[in-house]
Amino acid sequence: MIARPPALGASDKLTFLLSLIPYLMDHDSVTVAEAALHFEVSAERVRDAVRLIAVSGIPGETHQYLDGDLFDIHWDEFEENDRIVLTHLVAIDDSPRFSAREAAALIAGLQYLSSLPENADRDAVASLMAKLTRGASATPTQLAVASQDSDSAMAVIRAAGHDGVQVEFDYLNARGEHEHRFVDPLRLESIDTDWYLRGWCHLRRAPRTFRLDRMSELGVTSIQIEAHDAQLVLPDALFQASAEDLSVVIELPASALTLLADYSPDRATTSVGGDRVRTTLRVAHYHGLKRLVSGLAGLVTVVEPAEARQVVADWATAGVARYEATGEA
Amino acid sequence: MPTSPDKSPRVTVEERLFSLVLALIATEIGLTKADILATVQGYRQRFTSGGDNANLERQFERDKDDIRELGIPLEMIEPADDPGNNHLLRYRIPKGLYNLPPDVSFSPDELMLLKLAATVWREGSLSAESRRALTKLNSLGVDSSDPVLGYAPSLRARDASFEPLSKAMDRGQVVAFLYLKPGEGSPRRRRVAPRAVVLHEGRWHLYGADQDAQATRTFLLSRIVGPVVAVPGDTFVPDGEGKGQRALDELDALWAANVAELEVEAGSDAAVRLSKREAHGPGAGTTVTLHYTDLDILADELAGYGPEVLVRSPLALRQAVRARLVGVRDAHIGTTLGSAT
Repeated sequence: MIARPPALGASDKLTFLLSLIPYLMDHDSVTVAEAALHFEVSAERVRDAVRLIAVSGIPGETHQYLDGDLFDIHWDEFEENDRIVLTHLVAIDDSPRFSAREAAALIAGLQYLSSLPENADRDAVASLMAKLTRGASATPTQLAVASQDSDSAMAVIRAAGHDGVQVEFDYLNARGEHEHRFVDPLRLESIDTDWYLRGWCHLRRAPRTFRLDRMSELGVTSIQIEAHDAQLVLPDALFQASAEDLSVVIELPASALTLLADYSPDRATTSVGGDRVRTTLRVAHYHGLKRLVSGLAGLVTVVEPAEARQVVADWATAGVARYEATGEA
Repeated sequence: MPTSPDKSPRVTVEERLFSLVLALIATEIGLTKADILATVQGYRQRFTSGGDNANLERQFERDKDDIRELGIPLEMIEPADDPGNNHLLRYRIPKGLYNLPPDVSFSPDELMLLKLAATVWREGSLSAESRRALTKLNSLGVDSSDPVLGYAPSLRARDASFEPLSKAMDRGQVVAFLYLKPGEGSPRRRRVAPRAVVLHEGRWHLYGADQDAQATRTFLLSRIVGPVVAVPGDTFVPDGEGKGQRALDELDALWAANVAELEVEAGSDAAVRLSKREAHGPGAGTTVTLHYTDLDILADELAGYGPEVLVRSPLALRQAVRARLVGVRDAHIGTTLGSAT
């Protein structure tokens, strides 16, 4: 299954050319800036595409690509006013269909988003998926994502976001501490099955990230959220490294490294024989580490510091003790 | 100013592909390979009349594949009076199959959801597929409505076997891989016709026809060890429609049939998080009943909770969690690695 490296750039550019033409047809006259905004690309990319379209066409009867066989634009408008006016069309006048994989990527994405309040109307989503299937040139690739029940927490947070008010909830942090929080909801993020609320925490007076499944007693308040947009920029990465983070050396099979990608920013490893490697994790505290290591039982072993080994050993020992206290194994 | 395409010394890849698509859409009866190489922009500049055009022919074969990958229906028509004569094969793109059907249109709200769905894939080839699908959606000229609250959903398919399996599925290619079944000491080679790849309970599964067992099987991608390789010459006709849903239905049935009873420590992380998955609706007590699909995966998760969880039943899960905790304890006793033994 050695696949030839795909000519990704060219495929993207071709798709853009084939998509820009029907858009321009529907808009008798549109500025480069408007088209760039609509397609969410740079103005220069639009200009490059327009320049290429304007000199492209079909060989024609003479096989010489004569004027009538080529697209044409209003060149003065384009060069002087940055405005696109198509004056002659060739061969295509409609949007292209989706490929089997393109339709599948969107359908699986929609299935994944089934827990969003926006997707509560299952019939509407089903009709949307049917349209994507009909709009594909072949049966969509069978990639499917199990639907999740619409999460009540997300509906509450979304309602608060809609009304511009704070949410409040009891939060159990990774250290095992319960606190009551008031938060301005800013963004809902997810990684696979885990959902997070990014928001302004009034207890900490700082932006914070909260796991939805660690919230209890979630409710909408009547307190307006503060204006943040100017001074508050949420970092892109969900997990922030901090100067106070502790370094822990672990040993594991090289193949298991991807499981820990979020904790090991540099991914530098040293081999210790066989397929086993050592790497350094950055953790905020050992409470999270002991859970992480115990949940990857048999894969990951803490090498140092000794204190970290002790915390993990104590955690596992306490776990084993519960089974011994109840008698049989 | 516009320049005549004749004079451009070098034709970019996208210009050649674009010109090929235009030429093949414009033709009703199709063009032969010779026509294309001699006349289409990007080929004709390199075409030697009466000479050796082997390189150019290979270029055309690759371009054809790239165009088809984009969902553009590039057809081959055999001459009725001389089937099998490659020189007379004609190529074309039927406009009716190229154009998006007229009844496929999207509202601003639908477009907002589709844009969000496209952002789900952050890594791998599906992120490129999503991006191209969005470009095609944008060609319809509809402006999407804005979501009230920002969403940044993401789905990762980090299993190394994900890409080769999903591509093999499209090509109808039987594949082979080593599969480590829990409880078995060493991996066994499986030959499978892949029919669907599905995400269930946070794990990617392959659903396919096991060629040796002559039966449908479900495999966890995380237990595929080593590369996924094509079995040369062993192909099938992809007829995937509905297979993904069938795979999910089977996994749902398995999930519903498996029940674990747990005791959780009140107020702990385990109590807060696991009670959200309580089979009898969100609970607040210290007893949690959970459904699960895979005993080993649940055992890994429960071991992470350490003393916060005690498995009551089934016995196999209880033993699996205890064994994991014993393993972690034994590996970490002593101040340095290996000092306890």
